[in-house]
Amino acid sequence: MKNASLVMKKELARVFKDKRMIFSMFILPALIMLVIFNLVGMMVDGMSKDVEEHVSTVYIQNATENAKNVIAASGYDKVATVSYVGEGMGTIDKIKEDILNGDTDLLVVFDTDFDEVYKAYTKSGDAIPNISLYYNSTTNYGNAAVSTFNAMVVDPLRTGLQSERIGNLEQLTVFNISETIIANEDKKNGQFLSMMLPYMIVMMLFASAMSLCVDAVAGEKERGTLATLLLSPIKRSEIAFGKLAGLSILASISAVVYAISSIFSMGSMSKSIMGVADDAGDMGKLSFSAWQVIGLVLIMITLVYLFVAITSLLSILAKDIKQASSLISPLYIVVILLGMITMFTTGKTPADFMYAIPVYGSALAIQGIAVNALEPLQLIFSICGNVVCAAIVTFGIKKAFDSEKVMFNA
Amino acid sequence: MIEVQDLTKVYKLSKSKMAQLKTNSNIKRAADGISFTAKPGEIYGLLGPNGAGKTTTLRCIATLLTPTDGHVAVCGHDTVKEGEQVRESLGFLTNEIKLDPFFTPKYLFEFFGHAHGMTDSEIAARKADLFGRFGITAFEDKKIESLSTGMKQKAAIVVSLVHNPQVVIFDEPTSGLDVITAKSVLDLLKSLRDEGKTIIISTHIMSEAEKLCDRIGVIIDGHKVAEGTVPEIVEKTGAADLEDAFFVLYRDNHKEEEYNPQKAFGGARK
Ligand SMILES: Nc1ncnc2c1ncn2[C@@H]1O[C@H](COP(=O)(O)OP(=O)(O)OP(=O)(O)O)[C@@H](O)[C@H]1O
Ligand SMILES: [Mg+2]
Repeated sequence: MKNASLVMKKELARVFKDKRMIFSMFILPALIMLVIFNLVGMMVDGMSKDVEEHVSTVYIQNATENAKNVIAASGYDKVATVSYVGEGMGTIDKIKEDILNGDTDLLVVFDTDFDEVYKAYTKSGDAIPNISLYYNSTTNYGNAAVSTFNAMVVDPLRTGLQSERIGNLEQLTVFNISETIIANEDKKNGQFLSMMLPYMIVMMLFASAMSLCVDAVAGEKERGTLATLLLSPIKRSEIAFGKLAGLSILASISAVVYAISSIFSMGSMSKSIMGVADDAGDMGKLSFSAWQVIGLVLIMITLVYLFVAITSLLSILAKDIKQASSLISPLYIVVILLGMITMFTTGKTPADFMYAIPVYGSALAIQGIAVNALEPLQLIFSICGNVVCAAIVTFGIKKAFDSEKVMFNA
Repeated sequence: MIEVQDLTKVYKLSKSKMAQLKTNSNIKRAADGISFTAKPGEIYGLLGPNGAGKTTTLRCIATLLTPTDGHVAVCGHDTVKEGEQVRESLGFLTNEIKLDPFFTPKYLFEFFGHAHGMTDSEIAARKADLFGRFGITAFEDKKIESLSTGMKQKAAIVVSLVHNPQVVIFDEPTSGLDVITAKSVLDLLKSLRDEGKTIIISTHIMSEAEKLCDRIGVIIDGHKVAEGTVPEIVEKTGAADLEDAFFVLYRDNHKEEEYNPQKAFGGARK
């Protein structure tokens, strides 16, 4: 074991003795995450701000007196540039063209005899007057113009006419709805987290394991430096274990860096994109029991070791870096899918034995931890699943080191 | 002391390897019943053309490959059963097995010293000796990747000698080196011999074999076809010098594969 720790230290020294490595492995990814998330956030913010500040250009044909009154009363003419136009097909065609170009946002056409038809109504089956809205649904401005017009003009106009015809609108109200949400505080707060967390942890751990191991194993094989190690009196099993331990530590650190930077970035982004500012704020308030935290750490440690072992094994079996990458990429997709399935697990918690499935069980367990509902048995199952699988893969790695077919292509 | 007895190594060939080697057999007998003994205080040279089986033989001695048949012992330890003891007493150098480019000579020297179970003070003493002798002290803190080919070769040599091995194996010691660096490598091998180490090198350079080797084993197509000092081999073949002797041996022993209609020398096997 003394030699295993020697090999492990060398694996760590490779990164920590090199400022460029530290930068490219830990600092750069964090910076990139922060910059990307913030750029996206800023763009989304800018977009919605721009739509908000935009003054819609609206043309209204044959506006009734009632409509004009509503527009003046609701102040719609203050938030949009409203032009009233009369009959005459020429102008309407021109306006429609402008809508397509984006110069005009909305065209509203009232039936010429809107008021007469409305007043002539006495019984069911009589004609009903019509308002046509023309807008470009592919533009944000168009969509915003319609919803504002509906809210500020159409709805008050309709209510006004309805009460004029019926008298008391209360007659139409057959019932009220009152909603009271009953949920476990932890579960509610953890819901957003429990959906994203398993997927994100699994993906980040695998990504960091993959990028490390391909170079540290297939790269060493390609460069001929692994053979140098095989020539030393260090036992093959110690080489295998030492390398895996070192790489696991590095992968964990890089995963933690990813996690922290993405939590930071998501805080700023979720407000603009997901509209879950409150939930995101609550993430900090989550209260985990101590053993749930220990559980999370144990799961992450076993999971990262498993990922490092699997990607290392494939890297050893591969001839060179290129082949290793092409072997690992399909596996990456499988692992991501396993992490994602839990996003769609609804309702009942899966049977306990499901937690023993490597990777998937861990994702389930992480999900359970996020809502503070993981059972001890489930935790034990998921850790054992990872450990057993990792042990098998580690044994495979030792076998591969022993095999001259693998090491020397003989 | 290195004892090689009836060493046979058979590679299984993949389809692509078969095409590459232009053979219709799916196995390759890279070493076929090779026997020889290298004694302490001598440099034994394996001389042979490309593909003769030199590297294969040396890798079997260094425990990197397992012989298909036969036995190899290094300092009395069997390479298959006592691989770790063999690796303890052996320094192996080749161009294909390299030092990690991201580390400094100093770090790697200390790393492999520890791997051999040496204490810090033992490593320091050994380092003062070897680094001084090879002029490595000047670049001991530079990364291997930033060194010239000659510097890399020197670093690789000292690292492989950190544990002061009784046996030194060197596959093509001067390939890729300029004459100055090559000479310093050969001088080192001579001084190691004078210290009483057992040394085996492989080469296809006649002048190198002539100048350096105390005894030579000529290997052709996986067979040892001649052995002795340079004058002995020259005399046995009735040639004028080692190069001539080599051609004679090659003509008499090399058998073209059946698929090839052109027989290079038209000579029959003896
Ligand atoms: N891994 C392998 N798989 C299959 N065949 C191999 C393998 N390694 C070597 N060989 C074949 O075995 C034979 C001996 O190879 P070896 O490398 O031992 O020759 P060598 O004497 O070192 O030649 P060189 O002077 O070119 O280095 C060659 O025909 C080679 O093609
Ligand atoms: Mg060779």
